[in-house]
Amino acid sequence: MSRTYVLRRGLQAIGTLLVIVTILFFLFRLGLPDPTVALVTEGLSPEDRAVIRERFGLDRPLFEQYVIYLGNIVRGEFGTSFYYKAPVAGVVWEKFANTMVLMLVAIVIAYLLGIPLGAYLAWKRGTRTDTVGIVLGLMFRSAPMFWTGMLAVLLFGVALGWLPTSGMRTLPYEAATFFHKVFTLDFLRHLIMPATIIALFYLGSPLLIMRNTMLEVYGEDFIEMARAKGLRERDVLYRHAARNALLPVITQLAVTIGLAAGGQVVVEVVFSWPGLGREILQAVRTSDFPLAQATFMLMAVLVITMNFLADLLYGALDPRVKLQ
Amino acid sequence: MNKSQPRRQAARWLVALVAAGLLWGAAQAQEPIPTIEILTTTESYDAIRYEGAFIIADAWRELGFDVVVRPQEFSTLLQRFYDEQDFDVTILGWSGRVERLDPQHFLATLDSRQAGLGANNPGGYANPAYDALFDLQSREFDADARRAYVQQMQELAAPDAPLVILFHRDEVVAYNATRWTDMVTMAGEGLYNEWTPLRATPLTNDRVLTIGSPQEPDNVNPLASTSVWGWKWMRMYYDKLVRLSPEVEPLPWAAETITAVDDVTIDVTLRAGMTFHDFTPVTAEDVKFSFEYPIANDYAYFRPFLSRIGRVEVTGPLSVRFHLTEPVASFITVTLSQIPILPMHIWSAIDNPADLNPDEIPTIGSGPFQFDRYDRGEYMRLTVYPMHFAADDIDIDAMEMIIFADSEGVFTAMQTGQIDMTAWRMEPGQIPLAEANADLVVVGVPDFGYFHMTWNLRRAPFDDVAVRRALTMATDRQRMVDVLLDGRGEVGSSVVAPVNAFWHNPFIERFDYDLEAARAALEAAGYTWNADGRIVAP
Repeated sequence: MSRTYVLRRGLQAIGTLLVIVTILFFLFRLGLPDPTVALVTEGLSPEDRAVIRERFGLDRPLFEQYVIYLGNIVRGEFGTSFYYKAPVAGVVWEKFANTMVLMLVAIVIAYLLGIPLGAYLAWKRGTRTDTVGIVLGLMFRSAPMFWTGMLAVLLFGVALGWLPTSGMRTLPYEAATFFHKVFTLDFLRHLIMPATIIALFYLGSPLLIMRNTMLEVYGEDFIEMARAKGLRERDVLYRHAARNALLPVITQLAVTIGLAAGGQVVVEVVFSWPGLGREILQAVRTSDFPLAQATFMLMAVLVITMNFLADLLYGALDPRVKLQ
Repeated sequence: MNKSQPRRQAARWLVALVAAGLLWGAAQAQEPIPTIEILTTTESYDAIRYEGAFIIADAWRELGFDVVVRPQEFSTLLQRFYDEQDFDVTILGWSGRVERLDPQHFLATLDSRQAGLGANNPGGYANPAYDALFDLQSREFDADARRAYVQQMQELAAPDAPLVILFHRDEVVAYNATRWTDMVTMAGEGLYNEWTPLRATPLTNDRVLTIGSPQEPDNVNPLASTSVWGWKWMRMYYDKLVRLSPEVEPLPWAAETITAVDDVTIDVTLRAGMTFHDFTPVTAEDVKFSFEYPIANDYAYFRPFLSRIGRVEVTGPLSVRFHLTEPVASFITVTLSQIPILPMHIWSAIDNPADLNPDEIPTIGSGPFQFDRYDRGEYMRLTVYPMHFAADDIDIDAMEMIIFADSEGVFTAMQTGQIDMTAWRMEPGQIPLAEANADLVVVGVPDFGYFHMTWNLRRAPFDDVAVRRALTMATDRQRMVDVLLDGRGEVGSSVVAPVNAFWHNPFIERFDYDLEAARAALEAAGYTWNADGRIVAP
């Protein structure tokens, strides 16, 4: 992998981002209703709303708004949320952290379990274990999370009373920093249910991909060779076959983490998790352009970055892959 | 060829053209009334309005109208209705906020001067007599005289069927009766009103009232918040000159006396000894400042209440005089009960208060509670301000609000005992479950807000009063209340709700559901039906 490769990919990423940012800007402004329209129900007159639109800068020509917007992004300013009247960066960062801590835990669990299980199922192909594993994986993959989530709330929260049903901490516990909020046993208790629900949902992907790729790898000559050397079946499985079957799973993992910033809205709703997914939904519903633009841009940055990392990782994991 | 031939030719052409025009016109007359589009909310936003649209459409189809129901995302629905007036028929609603018990706001929704784009009368009803009465009532200081005007307006509008008031939906809320008693309910506000925290008595050692809500303030900046959820919270730590009692009577609060010198001059004397939460005394200067500062800073949310204040004069350390530009009937009940008293010594130093960052927003008020904490999206908390004149009567130490993603989360928290009461109405499906729970008490309060179906009077066939009357008769509102609301509500008749008994006129035309009468009314107005059974305009 050469330095020019990294440079070229970097420039590509910036170009992609510029296109996305432009599309987002015009998409929201041309596609969403006026941000002040909901104020009618609060009794505001057209004149009052005009004052507010002016304050938001929406009275200026669209192109002028676009130039201002681009200038602000370059300076790292994302503006003020129309709805909260607070700097977008602050709103997004807090919710982003809340979402990522939930999503990453869930994804890590899913992949830590899914990869070895997938390999194991491939080894046991055709047996009842294989069938049961596949069916379970597919079942959790296809069961809607609001449903599994609500069942979990009813069972473990309401009926048994073992686990808290909402939020990420027992209030009024006050945390000085994000780390104080997250590194407590109480947080862990709040995390268990939503993280498990998401992990079970994500489990299917690495499980099935790993199993299928393993079956392909099993047919290769070097596996025969390893067996011929007299290695134990477990070593053949995990050392030789699994390592080679990992590549597609890595791609999948990168994409999954990239999209994680959007959160899993239904899980955030069912468990009242104060995450970014709910915030995005709210921003689009209230036509909060600055907030919506920033959140979608964040997702784009994350997806682009994770894809880039996956490419680099490919080269490291498999010397046959050359990046030019 | 003689001279008159071209002229005869022209005459022949003319006759042919006229004949063709007449034939075309006759064919047109047989054309049925074009498809009527009913706009409503999506099922996920509000299943009741969504289902209601289909009930209405079914009945109208029986009359020979072609009807489609088009659910819209909520902001889009608002935009098409208010800002674009691009609709045939729209189903929407007005929430019953406590200041709307004064009939001013709802009556204005039929004022022709509100029929412009973005204003409150998108249907476009125009009746000069109605408008004239509206002006009279809005300036009438004498309640009984004003009431006569208000009732006359309702009577005047009803036969024109300017819109259909579908129903008033009861606010059904719940609290945990093993932990709390003396809870207060208020029309339009349910349990989450100004009085519950002041009067609630704990039955356990836990003296913190925990409220669960699916909504939260947009922000807690008293110069920038534009949502009722902002003010429902801020009104607990900012005081007001008047608070509306649980029976919705104006009660002098921070004011000791309120005297109307004449109908444009109001004298207010403050209670002695009040302080802000930083122990600075509350003075007449603060009151004057509080009424002028929002206008100076273009705070739109309060403009309707403040627009007719000419000036505020300080007449003593604890007394002010309001000079109005014209008589305002709702000045004491609405204006004085809405505007918060802000500490001048803090806010006067702030130039652009609407642009404050959340962590810079002052939270010092003079109300019975003081601001403690706000974690956006999660939690808010107020503690009792012990120096407040009402503090001795308050039996709790603090009130807190836990914010949930939706009403399902709130309901689960009610069941597990995590919260003590709901801030917002329960869904129809949750109510029987709550009633079955021995710990919970379910309370239903009639609403004076309403759900309405508004037609666009600028468009045919709704420009014809006969059609509007017939379609109103073909709208089975009782069924909606019985089926969609499980009986928890009341069929609507006027923009002023029956629960608002002082202003409501119970003797206006009601249009009970009657498809046959509707058909007869259309026939009498000259409507016919073509071979396909579709209705044809006269």
